[in-house]
Amino acid sequence: MSAPLYQLRGVEVGYGEASFAASVATTVATTVAASVLNVPELAIARGSILGLAGHNGSGKSTLLKVLGFLLTPHAGELSFDGRLVDAAALRAGHLLRRRAVLLGQDTCLLKRSVAANVAYGLRLRGQPASQNTLAEALALVGLDFAEFGPRSWRELSGGEARRVALAARLVLKPEVLLLDEPTTGLDRASVGHVQQAVLAARQTRGATLVIASHDVDWLKSCADTVLHLEDGRIVERLGDRPGGHSADHLGESPGVYGVERT
Amino acid sequence: MDYFSEGLTKAVALLLALDPETFSAVWTTATVTALALATSLLMGLPLGFALGHFRFPGRRFVRLFVDWMLSLPTVVIGLIVYALLTSRGPLGEWGLLFSVPGMAFGLTLLGLPIVVSMTATAVESTDTRLTQTLLSLGADRWQLLLATLIEARFAMALAAATAFGRIVSEIGIAMMVGGNIKWQTRTITTAIALETGKGEFATGIALGIVLMLVALVVNLLVGLLRGRSNGHQAGGRA
Repeated sequence: MSAPLYQLRGVEVGYGEASFAASVATTVATTVAASVLNVPELAIARGSILGLAGHNGSGKSTLLKVLGFLLTPHAGELSFDGRLVDAAALRAGHLLRRRAVLLGQDTCLLKRSVAANVAYGLRLRGQPASQNTLAEALALVGLDFAEFGPRSWRELSGGEARRVALAARLVLKPEVLLLDEPTTGLDRASVGHVQQAVLAARQTRGATLVIASHDVDWLKSCADTVLHLEDGRIVERLGDRPGGHSADHLGESPGVYGVERT
Repeated sequence: MDYFSEGLTKAVALLLALDPETFSAVWTTATVTALALATSLLMGLPLGFALGHFRFPGRRFVRLFVDWMLSLPTVVIGLIVYALLTSRGPLGEWGLLFSVPGMAFGLTLLGLPIVVSMTATAVESTDTRLTQTLLSLGADRWQLLLATLIEARFAMALAAATAFGRIVSEIGIAMMVGGNIKWQTRTITTAIALETGKGEFATGIALGIVLMLVALVVNLLVGLLRGRSNGHQAGGRA
């Protein structure tokens, strides 16, 4: 069995002490010193899909930010690809963040056109952003380049902007895709596009996916492992079966995922 | 009223005849303003970004100092700069007193706090989600700085326009540090003060017209930028 891509040991985040992207010396201005995440042990295998379920405020977003190197734990160890992510590694944190790309819960678009938004991450990496590349990324989330590419960020609905933000991550073809409520606020057709696009990232490229969602049925169907978080702690763990769980299987664990909790 | 209308007629005639003395003052004003504004922007944009973006010990004190500089009377700034540049002052050997670069130095002290303060406010008002978005897309610290400045571009253009308006219409520093030397350091504002004192209303009014036109253009520009800046802050969140 190969070494896990992520290894967390005794990771704790308390907002009063956590630094947000320490490499750029920006700190979260909060006063609460309580622990919002406490993960004694977690390994995430390369190419796997990890689902995160739980109430609002249960620590899903915090865990995603830790995995996306946007939040530095104040205790414990985080290893990525066999290397300890310490202060020295975070000095070049952008190199890590280029491998593990996060789509946050409240994404904001740049004040530019849709095409420029989708191309932005490629430009940061010095990679070409051809029209075909951008069109393919937008098509993945069900948007037509000819119609949406030249549009201003101001001319998008909330759902369209969300899909553009996802396309801007998918176009980067990252090793790890961290998604925080990727389908929130989308209509049914758009949800289908997004779910398909996300899963294709693993099927076609073997990307590792970590998805936080209240859509527990979706997590059940696609994730290899689903973690249930409460008050920053992992309280339930399902599976470790590649290929996801069948709904029938999960139905055998009533009371854990049987009811969608929002 | 006759002297006023007479002065106005003469003023228009002076402008139309491209009177060398009048246009010398206009040229000096343009040169000094361009130098002071460029220096204020070159120093003020990065400083304002740092002040608005980073959290560091003493940040509140720095912010307080910058805001205090904003409200400093220009004659006081003129006095300080004069004391620095005079032959007995610490920078006296540079020989900048009564020169265009010396005036630009003084006016930079006027424009710099405006640019720093307004840029810091613009950067502070950009959503923290923008920083997270830029970082998660892989921006390094310089790309983050550049992208944040670009996102705050309308607000910063407003800072530049405001600083320009303040610098171009300033008189205290220009008078004390420049010395109001004809053909050399005489600006529109110092010339107006001098000509009016001499009873030469026509030249004063002619220069006043130029200054009012500049003020009008700057105000139109500021209004336009403010509208765009507000529009951009209003929506577009995903």
